[in-house]
Amino acid sequence: MYKLTGVTKLYQKGRRTVPAVRDLNLTIGDGEWLAVQGRTGSGKSTLLNLLGGLDRPTQGTVELDGTGLGEMREAQLTRLRAESVGFVFQTFNLVPTLSAAENVEAALIPLGAGHSARRARVAAALEQVRLSDRAGHLPSELSGGQQQRVAIARALVKDPKVLLADEPTGNLDEDTRDEIIALLEELWRCRGLTLVLISHDTSVARRAQRAGVMNKGRLTVGQAAR
Amino acid sequence: MFFLTYLLRELFQRKRQAVFIALGLALGVGLVVTVIAASSGVRSAQAGELHSLYGVGTDITVTKAPPAANASNGMTITAGPNGAQVCNAGHCSSGAQTIDNLTSPAYGAFPASTVASVARLHQVAAAAGGLYLTDNQMTIPADLGSSGSGFPTSNSFTVEGVNPGDYSALGPLSDDTVAAGRNLRGSDADSDVAVVDTDYAIAHKLRVGSTVTIAGKPFTVVGTVAQPQGANPPDIYIPLARAQALGTIAGKSLRGDVNTIYVGTATAGVVPAVQQEISALVPSATVTTASSLAGQITGSLASAASLANDLGRWLSVLVLIAAFAVASLLTMAAVARRVREFGTLKALGWRSARIIAQVLGESVAVGIIGAAAGVGLGFAGAAIITAAAPKLPGTVQTATGQHMELMGPGGAQSSSPTLAHTVAVPLSASVSTNAIALGIALALAGALLAGSIASWRITQLRPSAALARVA
Repeated sequence: MYKLTGVTKLYQKGRRTVPAVRDLNLTIGDGEWLAVQGRTGSGKSTLLNLLGGLDRPTQGTVELDGTGLGEMREAQLTRLRAESVGFVFQTFNLVPTLSAAENVEAALIPLGAGHSARRARVAAALEQVRLSDRAGHLPSELSGGQQQRVAIARALVKDPKVLLADEPTGNLDEDTRDEIIALLEELWRCRGLTLVLISHDTSVARRAQRAGVMNKGRLTVGQAAR
Repeated sequence: MFFLTYLLRELFQRKRQAVFIALGLALGVGLVVTVIAASSGVRSAQAGELHSLYGVGTDITVTKAPPAANASNGMTITAGPNGAQVCNAGHCSSGAQTIDNLTSPAYGAFPASTVASVARLHQVAAAAGGLYLTDNQMTIPADLGSSGSGFPTSNSFTVEGVNPGDYSALGPLSDDTVAAGRNLRGSDADSDVAVVDTDYAIAHKLRVGSTVTIAGKPFTVVGTVAQPQGANPPDIYIPLARAQALGTIAGKSLRGDVNTIYVGTATAGVVPAVQQEISALVPSATVTTASSLAGQITGSLASAASLANDLGRWLSVLVLIAAFAVASLLTMAAVARRVREFGTLKALGWRSARIIAQVLGESVAVGIIGAAAGVGLGFAGAAIITAAAPKLPGTVQTATGQHMELMGPGGAQSSSPTLAHTVAVPLSASVSTNAIALGIALALAGALLAGSIASWRITQLRPSAALARVA
């Protein structure tokens, strides 16, 4: 499904050029769960941004189902993200003024679905993350784990092909971390998603099918113990 | 629905900032509306000045400069050690005498046919001619100027010659109320009858049946009329034909002439165009409208006009610029704080246009609140002006036609005195639909400007950079 060939991403910091990703080659199959570990600043989030079309490679190609993301126009990338890619962030990134249900609904707005259709899908998504009783609560009224569940529901409500999770348990305590990872695993199995999960936590990475390590922009991929 | 929900929640979340921006816009808009209302009130007051001089329904007056008063065409009184000599348009006599002249000192004369020519112009609804004259009565003692002599006694009053029965829409009798007796009728055209202003009648103890002397002729008072408060009417009204027969200008008879043409236009909007047409038809004429009369008015009314038009306008512009700047800065700051939020929305697949529409919608909502508050402030400002503003006197100077020369130890001293018409008109400020529309438009423009400037940031936003921002 994903094919990355010779991908390099460079950032300009004043006069310096910083290579966030160097000459990366990677293939991710449909329905595969890949975990990527690495230290802070190793390029993990940059890799996720490239996979999600949030950034374009400086060199090389990122293909999703045979289509190069780097050649797509911005409007096409936006459409791709709206339909096929779900994101889960470390800091949840919920809109603070919208309720849990409305945050989930925000992911359906670009698809042009009608109001009643949106409501039905939102209810189903919240049911799947076991948060139906908190639908009307604002993010400030939810715990960290509950907020991340809302974020997961938001990512999955559009039935994406790909779920990209950037340190989804980074801000959570141990028990909640296990809950969230278990939920992600369950959803991955049920839906047949392609899941790419960034985490610095080895215990999380161990649960994936395959794990890789980013180090100074280079990725080394091995097999997870599954 | 989601758009409105998101918009309202966001405004409520930062309600303090929204209220601050709305208040700034409201202040600017309120000032603009108040200034427009005050300017409109001043224009109405100026029109009131015109109407008080020339009557309600008169949109334009046509007059002409009088011949310059000098010894050859005016009345000259020379007093010296040998007594007094009175010369009236070149005819001189000495000794004690009583002079009673009905003259046109303020205006020159037109043939009466000019009235019909003006009436035929495009967009002229009606035209009427009149004679605005001054009756100067003076008793000269024989020994005026010699040691121990008495002084001349004088009495002046204004006389308006009107077409009897033809003044309902134009001219100085268009807005009067008969207080006693009757008004002039068509059958009075050649009669020595007069209608007297009530204030003048009271001051001079005149009633229906009294006699007034005009140009040496006795006229019977058939009625008294009251003019609206603030008007500065003539003292006495007589039939136009009699005024033409008795009146003189620069020593010549006013038979067949008028010195004022009152013009009513089809609509207020065509007044400038009709003014130009009349000026082209009668090049020697002074064609006066309410706005051109404004240039001649002195006194508090003129000061109020200057205040409203100049200071008021510039103050409004400055406050609006400040309000727009504050709104823009605060909106940009709010967008800057929401960069991560907008980056997330882009990651969810929201197009930049959709996010911009959301930000503009929030700005417009604040603009609507500011507009409503601003219009309210404008109404309040106008109400305060109407309630608190005193009557504003406005003065217009006109010539009398008199020329005085006094011979004394210091040599000859001469003067041509003028008459001052001072009218006190109430100043009111009313908010028009146009002012409200302009206020709303300005508030929305300010809000859209602020939202557009802030939205520019969104178009420059790279989602990955936005998501990397620390909350």
